[in-house]
Amino acid sequence: MTRYRSLIRGAAGLVACLASQAVAQASDPLSKLDPNSRFAVEAMIDSARVAGLPSRMLWLRAVEGINKGADSRRIVAAVRERFVHLKDARAVLSQATDDELAAAADLLEAKVKPEALIPFRNPGRGRSPLLALTILGDLVTRGVPRDDALSAISKFWMGGAGDAEFMGLFRGVESDILQGLNPGAALQNRVREFPGRAPSSIKPTTTPPAGEPETPNS
Amino acid sequence: MSDDAADVQRVLAGDVDAYAALVDRYYDRCARFAVRMLGNRDDAEDALQATFLRAYRALNRYQERDRFSAWLYRILVNQCRSIAARRAHRERVFVREEAVLLNAPDRRQHWSGEDEELVQRVLNELDPLLREAFLLKYIEEMSYEEMSALTGVGVSALKMRVKRACDRLRDRWERIKDD
Amino acid sequence: MTDAEDHPYVEWIAREARRPVATDPAARARVMEFVRREPAPRFSVWHRLVQPRALSLSPLASVALAAGLVGIGIFTGLFVLRRDGQTLAEQPLAVAPTVSGLPASDTVVTFIFAGKASQVSLVGDFNGWDAKATPMTKVVPQGTYWSVTLPLSAGRHVYAFVVDSQWVADQHAPLAPDDGFGRPNSVRLVGRGSSL
Repeated sequence: MTRYRSLIRGAAGLVACLASQAVAQASDPLSKLDPNSRFAVEAMIDSARVAGLPSRMLWLRAVEGINKGADSRRIVAAVRERFVHLKDARAVLSQATDDELAAAADLLEAKVKPEALIPFRNPGRGRSPLLALTILGDLVTRGVPRDDALSAISKFWMGGAGDAEFMGLFRGVESDILQGLNPGAALQNRVREFPGRAPSSIKPTTTPPAGEPETPNS
Repeated sequence: MSDDAADVQRVLAGDVDAYAALVDRYYDRCARFAVRMLGNRDDAEDALQATFLRAYRALNRYQERDRFSAWLYRILVNQCRSIAARRAHRERVFVREEAVLLNAPDRRQHWSGEDEELVQRVLNELDPLLREAFLLKYIEEMSYEEMSALTGVGVSALKMRVKRACDRLRDRWERIKDD
Repeated sequence: MTDAEDHPYVEWIAREARRPVATDPAARARVMEFVRREPAPRFSVWHRLVQPRALSLSPLASVALAAGLVGIGIFTGLFVLRRDGQTLAEQPLAVAPTVSGLPASDTVVTFIFAGKASQVSLVGDFNGWDAKATPMTKVVPQGTYWSVTLPLSAGRHVYAFVVDSQWVADQHAPLAPDDGFGRPNSVRLVGRGSSL
């Protein structure tokens, strides 16, 4: 009986595997675009690849639009914008990792000028501007005036602030805004809490905020 | 059964000399692609050596319904890509090599000398992905479907690469003729 | 053929490049020298059996096949239950392949959404923005907290929640600016062994 059951289970598993392959094969997200839009998107992905830019980000942008139900024209425009911003970000931050580039491109999408990214070039040993750029993007998206946000984050960064300080700033501003404070004022309040510091050799710490229930894979 | 398939069967049955027939049939054509793609003779010979060796080892995985040339070219294209990637930081010594090779008497028979060097220089200026697509389309005269199966890249992307390669070449001509 | 492809200079380059190149007979002979040193490749029945084959199916045929196969799978599962006459505490047949084993660079990360909803799922760059891929479950049955835990590779991830078919950002994580589809997403930074 047991052997018969395990035979059936084995066959069922094989059948399920074949089913999943057929389903996976049938799903090619870009096929939902009309041919012209698909050609345009694939051409941009290819151009990005040739230019050494993270082309997968363009693919993901297209797939996001498709799954959000956006029309083809909007998807093509969004992919094009992303491509242009990745290129511009690369022009300023030539040594950036793909993640840093993506965060910088986000800022350009929020109408931050490319020159404003100059302070984040050449971060130096052991530092990454990834969190700083991410928090800057958050502040601008939440409605903090662009120049104020830029000024605050740049000063923190050039003053040697680490991940813990940036997360602290983010948590404070987020909390104040959620409680109804005007975003610009929320930033000014929290900036006052962090005294300016001279560039130092303090290593940035990467401590998860208390209460985050994740565990490293062992 | 095609000549290729018959030779493959003979090799798998234990007749290694049947592989020599396959090498004879394809070496020159593969050499042309490898030289045009890599721009120098030494790298091309490495690519050819590795290609035919890998093809031999993988012969029991070759399926009769595939065209042998397409199957072989998939290996060749990948070998050329690997070698190009490995030598990315090496200085190009093409010009010096060309001078040495041009002086070797037995090599001149297929060359037109200056034109050959110029054409290779022009091809070398193309981005590798564009060059590869251009060579597969216009030198190997493959269809886009064949190229897609070989490279794993979509047909529309390949068409774009070929078009861009041609645009670059045409732009080069515009610059040259104005000098 | 485009204008550029028709251009006489381009045609000339192609024509010249099609000429044969001289090859070194010694290099050609070396190929066979090395080949003869190799063990002979043998015809392999096993290889023919296990070699993956590409299926070409129309989308409709794929769906029909999948439905048919899932149907057979479910039937087989039911058959197993009936023969035993008792409820089996077995995993349901998984249609999607499961991932076993995590790469060493992955960290296990939990996402939490707080709010009233009938259905919540997580979408992001790690699952192709597919609203069906990563459903979230209620932390307590009558509560309003939803969570899901999954492995993410180190780096920056962009995501959102789909709450009763509405895409919403995670207000408690850094927001990424509007990416052209009208709504901002959220950002999760995953380091090795931690996440922000």
